[in-house]
Amino acid sequence: MAKNKAQIVYSPKQKAIRALLWLLLVCVSILVIFPVLYIILGSFKENQELLLGGSNIFPQKWITQNYIDAWNQANFAVYTKNSLLLSVGVMVISLVVASMAGYVFSRKHFPGKEVIYGIFTAFMFINVGSVSLRPLYELATKLKINTSLWPVVLFSAGGGQATYIFLCRGYVNSVPKELDEAARIDGCSFFQTYSRIIMPMLKPVLATIAILSFRQGWNEYIMPRVFTMTNDSLRPLTVGVNMLKNAGDGAAAWNIMFAGATIAIIPILVVFICFSRYFMGGLTAGAVKG
Amino acid sequence: MSNYVNPQLAPTNRSPRPANKKMRLKESGGLASGLMLAPSIIFLAVCSVYPFIWIFRYITFNYDGIPAHTRYTGLRNFTTMLADTKFWSSVGTTFEYALWKLVFIIPLALVMAVLLNQKLRGSSFFRGVFFMPTVISSSISGMIFTFIFATGNGILNGILQNLGIINQPVGWLTDTAVVMAAVIIMSVWAGFGNYMLYFVTGMTSIPEDVYESSRIDGANGVQTFFKITLPMLAPVLKVVLMLAITGAFKDYEAIMVLTNGGPGTRTNVMFLYIYNLIFGTGANATRQIGYGALLSLVAAVIVGAVTILYNIVAKKLDDVV
Repeated sequence: MAKNKAQIVYSPKQKAIRALLWLLLVCVSILVIFPVLYIILGSFKENQELLLGGSNIFPQKWITQNYIDAWNQANFAVYTKNSLLLSVGVMVISLVVASMAGYVFSRKHFPGKEVIYGIFTAFMFINVGSVSLRPLYELATKLKINTSLWPVVLFSAGGGQATYIFLCRGYVNSVPKELDEAARIDGCSFFQTYSRIIMPMLKPVLATIAILSFRQGWNEYIMPRVFTMTNDSLRPLTVGVNMLKNAGDGAAAWNIMFAGATIAIIPILVVFICFSRYFMGGLTAGAVKG
Repeated sequence: MSNYVNPQLAPTNRSPRPANKKMRLKESGGLASGLMLAPSIIFLAVCSVYPFIWIFRYITFNYDGIPAHTRYTGLRNFTTMLADTKFWSSVGTTFEYALWKLVFIIPLALVMAVLLNQKLRGSSFFRGVFFMPTVISSSISGMIFTFIFATGNGILNGILQNLGIINQPVGWLTDTAVVMAAVIIMSVWAGFGNYMLYFVTGMTSIPEDVYESSRIDGANGVQTFFKITLPMLAPVLKVVLMLAITGAFKDYEAIMVLTNGGPGTRTNVMFLYIYNLIFGTGANATRQIGYGALLSLVAAVIVGAVTILYNIVAKKLDDVV
């Protein structure tokens, strides 16, 4: 392939066209990056400058006071902690639940398997919107677990599990069954075969699931919003920042909101830059197999 | 598969037995597999099946969150819905939003994918940049755009005024004439990277020599796109369109943050209208959970009907082409 590419020789006209296309890509990239850059750079501006507006994206005077204020006065330390709990919690639960279920779905034959699988698939397509949060919210209230963030962690993991199970099952399907059989003959139990033999082979797909579920937890908005309606100390960043906006003094606190929004996007952007391969791989794998 | 035995040579009474033994060995561990499946089954039952059944329980009830107020009202929710112009106009808004979003997001994603496929310098960097907005929470992207589109001190008006394109600041989020454009810009920005990536992946499966032979035959870039890339991408395009259609109908988080359906009800899409019925707060919010449950079901049916309709049309087009 590489050799083939090297053989392509472009005429001057083609070169010019390619340069133009490249410029187009650069322009679109600037448009795409602009909002993110605007919010990050804006978080270093003084509130006065933000409220004045104008077309300058760079701060006239760089300050970090916004972050200190957000962290100390506006409760962002708590929001960040909650966001971490939510995203890591969803990630760990998704990994454990989906890899076990994916393995069983791939290897076991039991009565009703097709039915259960069908229900999983059906609920990937049925979307009734936010109404399904109402019974879950009432359930959490009834069980008196709505004083912590755990119901959100559990329900978020439960709501997103189908895709991850499908990913896992597809991957286990590609692992030769002979491996299982060899392990069983060597005396491994069913669970040991999964945990010692198969699990280590699933690393690529587990990495994808880890990334996708971390993002899911970190970005969750409606569910934690509903569950923490009356409890500010349980809010993750997504909800906390937006509540500032809805608060009466919203207009006055632009600097805090800029800093808060930046705190909410920087971690996920860093994760994305480091593991972009898994983000993009997961998307297409899920579409093909799910 | 591993040790193939010629059936004519093998003693007929011996070969089935080891296979049987193997089967039995494989089928043991029933308890373990049941336990391993249990968490996901419980999740499925609690997070998906239970809420779905719960909806059916309440569609014929008047319910505002306080159990004492709950009472059976028969078909009244249904007749309310038929006369609820606010709901039907929100359905119309949803169609309008979805149409505009699709009109812009699909061509943009496709064109960008084609450009990335030209193996220009830095292609993988551009791909990462285009995909980046999709990893940001829709609530935060909604928020970022509230700042950008702000009338008085928003940077978009600042830049446009500086360039002399507009004299007066545009009320991007307060003027009913332009607010839909603002919502579409945000949702295209936030979502086109997804579809671009599907297209890019689809294009990598088009063999290189097809392009090469077309080049030898003297096809230019535009011809190559319409005669080769697009037809060969048709299966991918069909799937992407379906994902995009269902996705567009389900959008409401970012819209909630950006405009909260306003000004007035100009951008009030149906799932946002329903959200406010079920979890509404604020002065003029009247909680009608039973009614909201019915509307949720209707909305789900509408999305399902659109999906089915699309699939029929796509199949018909298949037969024609």
